[in-house]
Amino acid sequence: MLTLILDTVTTAALLFIISSGLLIVFGVMKIINFAHAAFVTVGGYAALVGSRLGLPWALVLPLAFVTGAVCGAVTEATIVRWLYRRPLDAILATWGLGIVIGQIITLIFGREVQFVQAPITGTVGLLGVDYSAYRIVMIAAAIMVAVVFTALLSGTRLGLTTRAVIMNEMLAQGLGVDSSRVRLVTFAIGSGLAALSGALITPLSSVDPNMGLPWLISAFMLVMVSGGSLFALAASCVVLGGVQVIVSTFVNPILGGLTIAICAAIVLRIRPEGFARA
Amino acid sequence: MPDVRQLSPAAVTPIGVSARLGTAVLALLVIGTVLLAPFLLDTYMLNILIRAFFVAIAAVTVDIMWGYCGTLTFGQSAFFGIGVYALAIVFTEFGFGTWQILFALAAAIIVSGVVAALTGWLSFYPGSTPLYASIVSLVVPIVLVQVLYSGGTFTGSSSGLVGFETFDLSLESWFRVAGLGLASVAAVALVLMQSDTGRLLKALRDNDERCSYLGINTSRYRIIVLVLTAIVAALAGFGYAAFGGVAAPENASFTFGTRLIVMVALGGRGTIIGAIVGALSIEVASAYLSGSLPYVWELIIGIALIAVILAFPDGLVGVIHKLTRGVQQPRTVPATRLCPIAVSAAVDGGSDIAIEVRELGRHFGSLSVLDGVEFTARRAELLSLVGPNGAGKTTLIRCLSDGRERSTGFVAIAGQPIDRLPPDRIVRFGLGRKFQAASFFETLTVAECLRVARTHRARPSLTSTSKVLELPVAAISLLEQSGLADRLGEEARKLSHGLKQALELAMVLSLEPEVLLLDEPTAGLTRAERQGFADILTTLASRARLCILLVEHDLDFVREISSRIIVLHQGKIALDGSVDEVVNSALVREIYTGQQYTASKVGP
Repeated sequence: MLTLILDTVTTAALLFIISSGLLIVFGVMKIINFAHAAFVTVGGYAALVGSRLGLPWALVLPLAFVTGAVCGAVTEATIVRWLYRRPLDAILATWGLGIVIGQIITLIFGREVQFVQAPITGTVGLLGVDYSAYRIVMIAAAIMVAVVFTALLSGTRLGLTTRAVIMNEMLAQGLGVDSSRVRLVTFAIGSGLAALSGALITPLSSVDPNMGLPWLISAFMLVMVSGGSLFALAASCVVLGGVQVIVSTFVNPILGGLTIAICAAIVLRIRPEGFARA
Repeated sequence: MPDVRQLSPAAVTPIGVSARLGTAVLALLVIGTVLLAPFLLDTYMLNILIRAFFVAIAAVTVDIMWGYCGTLTFGQSAFFGIGVYALAIVFTEFGFGTWQILFALAAAIIVSGVVAALTGWLSFYPGSTPLYASIVSLVVPIVLVQVLYSGGTFTGSSSGLVGFETFDLSLESWFRVAGLGLASVAAVALVLMQSDTGRLLKALRDNDERCSYLGINTSRYRIIVLVLTAIVAALAGFGYAAFGGVAAPENASFTFGTRLIVMVALGGRGTIIGAIVGALSIEVASAYLSGSLPYVWELIIGIALIAVILAFPDGLVGVIHKLTRGVQQPRTVPATRLCPIAVSAAVDGGSDIAIEVRELGRHFGSLSVLDGVEFTARRAELLSLVGPNGAGKTTLIRCLSDGRERSTGFVAIAGQPIDRLPPDRIVRFGLGRKFQAASFFETLTVAECLRVARTHRARPSLTSTSKVLELPVAAISLLEQSGLADRLGEEARKLSHGLKQALELAMVLSLEPEVLLLDEPTAGLTRAERQGFADILTTLASRARLCILLVEHDLDFVREISSRIIVLHQGKIALDGSVDEVVNSALVREIYTGQQYTASKVGP
């Protein structure tokens, strides 16, 4: 029972870390970044390179974030910027970018699955249950992402302008907010978060050129259900992540992997505003 | 290789540009090519092209969903896969024979139809966005592939099904079957998309909201199109598996779904030919390149997709059109003749009350935009709704025309309570709503816009374009008065601001409404246009006995035409009375000039 709860919380934490980058891009730009999975993969390989070079994890994580953020900034400036008026085309162009990144990684690193040693290994005893220490760390990581996120949005000038752009872009522009800069920075941060999450999940899974894909659909659906709010995203991660854990444990893992997508689709059909105003 | 190219020029020639003769020649050319090509091509090429033909059929269905209806769908691969597996499972389990073939066909059609209907129900409902529908379409193939993986020996799991007995046809026959299959799917699709029904689909793509406010159940249309295209895709998959004798999870995968989209994007969305050109060229090129340069080939596809989306959104066909535009004559639009029809007289004997509103409230959390609004309006009344910005005027219009908008209260239109009904149902009670910013169909001509507005009265033809446009007298006189009657063949987006407003009003009048809601119809119009509008509105109210509710800022205009005025202030009805009573009231002066109520008393 306790293991189940821990599984739920850690799964929710993982989902939250991965979808938060997608959420901020969707919130500000109203587009879905299909290259998100590719940026997660980029983060995974950044972690791989970093750990091969013998960097400490305290440096590997920033390295992954910066790599992702740079990729994101370049993407925004060269591709996404021209497609704000065509959100469906933005999906396609970012999907094309995802293919390109995936193939470049394959050309450089090869197709084979590789592994990264976790910085923290072993288990910890928690209320009489032995549980993977690294998964516990994920909870802390998710909380940190949430806290930094909230602090950025509510405590900085950039956050203020970002919120203004989210609420009413025309008005914000009229008031002198450089919304194209806000978008560039947002997209860079979103991609950086994707890469960071990629680096964080590598010790749990493995590194291969398509490692980001399995997470993509769940992340999309969670973002749609949460309707652009960080708090609602956290709530949906816990609820739907919990359902996923239960289905995976008691029914079968394959069906478990589909739970979030199916549940979210049904939730949205019955309650189009999702969990946003729940 | 040179023989392949023979196919393309014939296929690229745009169908429907010239007269029937051209079409007939083209059809003969295509059929001739398909019948003769097997003699000229080698076995490897034939093999590739047969598969490519089936894939191209699936690409055409993607094009109809995306290019014509505006739903970017990743899900057509799932329906293709259902066709593939229907055949493979039935032939593996029960062997090969006549009843097995029929059973497999029936299974392909029914399963794909049911899955598509379910997907449609999840994707299309009042208020769903195209983005969301796209994501749901992504879930379908992913779920299906997982089901296939976990199906054990029944579905062959990850290695798929092979070794079942299938049709014993020569390669040449397969080529002709597949080629003619593709040609007939393309022909049917072309005819359908050029017809009035096809135009309705483009209207859905251009402006879904306007469609529902024309009484069209847009979700139902989208679900029907999805089910039909799903069945066609399943049949293509059926043929694909029948030829190949293999069923693999890749045939249903989301990767294949995106590949189909890439084909349509590269070839040219919104043109059937573009989808076919894209599918054939990518299939052939990847057969030659993916073996020798697997990763580089994928890389090229990705780069090409980005480049096309950014630089040539209309794809290859669009580029060719641009290059040859000087040579071709512009498309001649068949002249449309206007034909007045008598409006069925409003049911007499019923109540005279056209709008009834009781205790209407609209709240966002703790904020009340409307509170306790109550009024009734009768036929032949021209009622103006005035009030400062933020008074809740547009919200009130929204609450009258969409049953899901209001938080509390009761609304009845033409005697029928609107409950929680979506706009298209309320429009059928006799409501017509004109939006504040002209809302119409960008890429359609004036005549086509008006025809879409008549959808609920005159079922659009599936095969042809009607040359006669039957409209109510009021709409025709508006068209003649504004000068739109002479510009029926012009694209709506090229009209001036005033004409766009007139077009939208004519579309709304084509609904033969009993209640007309107009949100600032004169904003941005010239003085002459405004006077024209005033004349039309007063005639409609007095002659056709329409109940007109008008939101307006211009008090002079309101004074000139209204029979009654309601003043909305901070979400409540502040005044409701005759023109003189309202215009001369101290409250209106206070709201509009900012003078204090007491101060105005003391004033001269």
